[in-house]
Amino acid sequence: MPNTINKHKMADLIVLITLFLITCWYAYDAFSASSHIANLILIFPVTALVLVLCSVEFFVLLSDKTVTEQDPIKTVLPVIALFITYVLTLSWLGFDVGTFLFLSVFLWVHGERRIAWVIGYSLAFATLISLFFSNMLPYPMPMLVLSTAY
Amino acid sequence: MINVDDLLAGFTLLFSDFTPWLIVIPGILIGLIFGAIPGLQISMAMAIFLPLTLYMDFMQAMLFLTAIFTGGGFGGSIPAILMNIPGTSSSIATTFDGYPMSKMGRHNLALGIGLGASCVGVIIGYSLLLLLISPISEMVLKLGPAEMATVILWGVTLIASLSGKNINKGIISGFIGLLVGTVGYSEAGVTRGTMGSIYLLDGIPAIPAMMGMFAASELFKLVNTQYLVKDESLRKVSVKEIIAGFKMAFTYPWVLVRGSLIGVFVGAVPGVGSSVANLLSYIQTKRKDKNPESFGQGNPAGVVASEAANSTSEAGSMATLLALGIPGGGATAVMLAAFAMHNITGGPQFIREQTDIVYAIVFANFGQAFLLIALGLMFIPILANVVKVPMTYLVPSVLSLSVFGAFGLTGDLTGPITVMVFSLVGWTFKRFDYSVPAAVIGLLLGGMAEESLIHTYQISGGLWGYVFERPVTMVILCLLMFSLFGGKLVSALNSKVRSKA
Repeated sequence: MPNTINKHKMADLIVLITLFLITCWYAYDAFSASSHIANLILIFPVTALVLVLCSVEFFVLLSDKTVTEQDPIKTVLPVIALFITYVLTLSWLGFDVGTFLFLSVFLWVHGERRIAWVIGYSLAFATLISLFFSNMLPYPMPMLVLSTAY
Repeated sequence: MINVDDLLAGFTLLFSDFTPWLIVIPGILIGLIFGAIPGLQISMAMAIFLPLTLYMDFMQAMLFLTAIFTGGGFGGSIPAILMNIPGTSSSIATTFDGYPMSKMGRHNLALGIGLGASCVGVIIGYSLLLLLISPISEMVLKLGPAEMATVILWGVTLIASLSGKNINKGIISGFIGLLVGTVGYSEAGVTRGTMGSIYLLDGIPAIPAMMGMFAASELFKLVNTQYLVKDESLRKVSVKEIIAGFKMAFTYPWVLVRGSLIGVFVGAVPGVGSSVANLLSYIQTKRKDKNPESFGQGNPAGVVASEAANSTSEAGSMATLLALGIPGGGATAVMLAAFAMHNITGGPQFIREQTDIVYAIVFANFGQAFLLIALGLMFIPILANVVKVPMTYLVPSVLSLSVFGAFGLTGDLTGPITVMVFSLVGWTFKRFDYSVPAAVIGLLLGGMAEESLIHTYQISGGLWGYVFERPVTMVILCLLMFSLFGGKLVSALNSKVRSKA
């Protein structure tokens, strides 16, 4: 248990430091683009406040001794990985096939073993939603099998 | 304040012929469907159907478009309650208590409450519009960029103070949201934070980012659950309960009235209105409640407050459009296009010369509110079945839907990629107690806050003393400070009084 607490607090500190660094980088990037007051009128004061608050929170976190219970991360990570793969492969697989594969793999990984259900539901959902959106939207959607525009 | 002759003329215009009403029902249905599907916006529905209004006269066109607006206003609360996806920024506060109610198996009640509050909101909002269109338009004209900037900062700090557990992290989230909202081309003509990507030149797409932060991140959390509502006996769809929820909305009369007043007046502020009104109403209701800790846990008053404000903000934005010709958001911008298509210009002259049409639009919205009750009661039971779908099927389906919706908003893969990136950010924020709503509001209003500050700087000639010459700005700044430190100040004073006693 103490190991878990330390891990969570460590992760919390890493997130805080990441936010601190990203804020610093953004302020530097804005300053490099132009040091004119119109460019920094919001960014500099807000950055200063974020950095002060992050520093305060850093010490609060270090001194905090409370135990925080968290859901296990192991079951969420595969879903996140699958979602990232789905989105990043949309330009090659298209919305129709990409969605079909995403749904099928998700259902299979989460214990649905009725092949007819896995394929039937994924196929029906992917086809219907692809047809609906490609009909409704005024621009072509990337597709592999279905038509890209109607 | 009201011209009786024009009032009667407006009434005659609307009810002398039944034809204009024939397009109201399809309009409400279109609004409901587009509002209920995450990613499809009310403004998108209105833009898609705008060409149809070319075949209608101006009155019919207005009836059709306002019907879509009214239907969509409530439609957005359906995914907010059932899936934690606010269809638009005006439904954000509906998720705070609507979604917890759904998880508790009180989805029927929550949807009924949402419908009741929305319909009452529309009626109160347009009644106020009828009485106050002239004073509202004068008030809006007095709001300069300094007031706009302070309203935005107030909105962000208010929502940050909502995060409950850790106010410090809440404010960090809100301010980081503000910074992220400024990514891309600035008013000064330079690009910031784009990392050389052309897709970020126009900034981070706010609605896909919001979908990722709210919906996708929540779905990741739900992967291990079997159903949205754990108890099987609570998963039923009951029209009786939806009606009970509808009636329940009326048991919070003060929340309804307060939300409606906030909705009309804040909703009239161009750009900021609908995003801030629902949050402001929610926060005020939480503050005034005897049991503020119950908010965010499924308190029906939270749903009433949010829905009353967001449906009345429609009337507020219509006031600005009709009286000043300034669209408050995407939907009213499409309406302005309809004005142009019929060679009509909104503004003081329009109000003065076509008062009968203004009154007819107001009366039409009263009628639409009653039609929304009937159509909503027919439509909700179909959608409420979402709670019966196993999470194994619901999670990937809603994730896909948000990806399609995001593509619909941006027209390229920037939308889906934004959903993906911000779902990870949202999940991380939730896991470590950072406030997701504060970050989203900051993101939505960051660009506008910067623009207002630059305009204030230009008008004042760089003299900061200018702020002290603006009484409204000073009042809002005081409210901002009070929302940050007021609670602590009051409790410190209380403890001092107690220790003296």
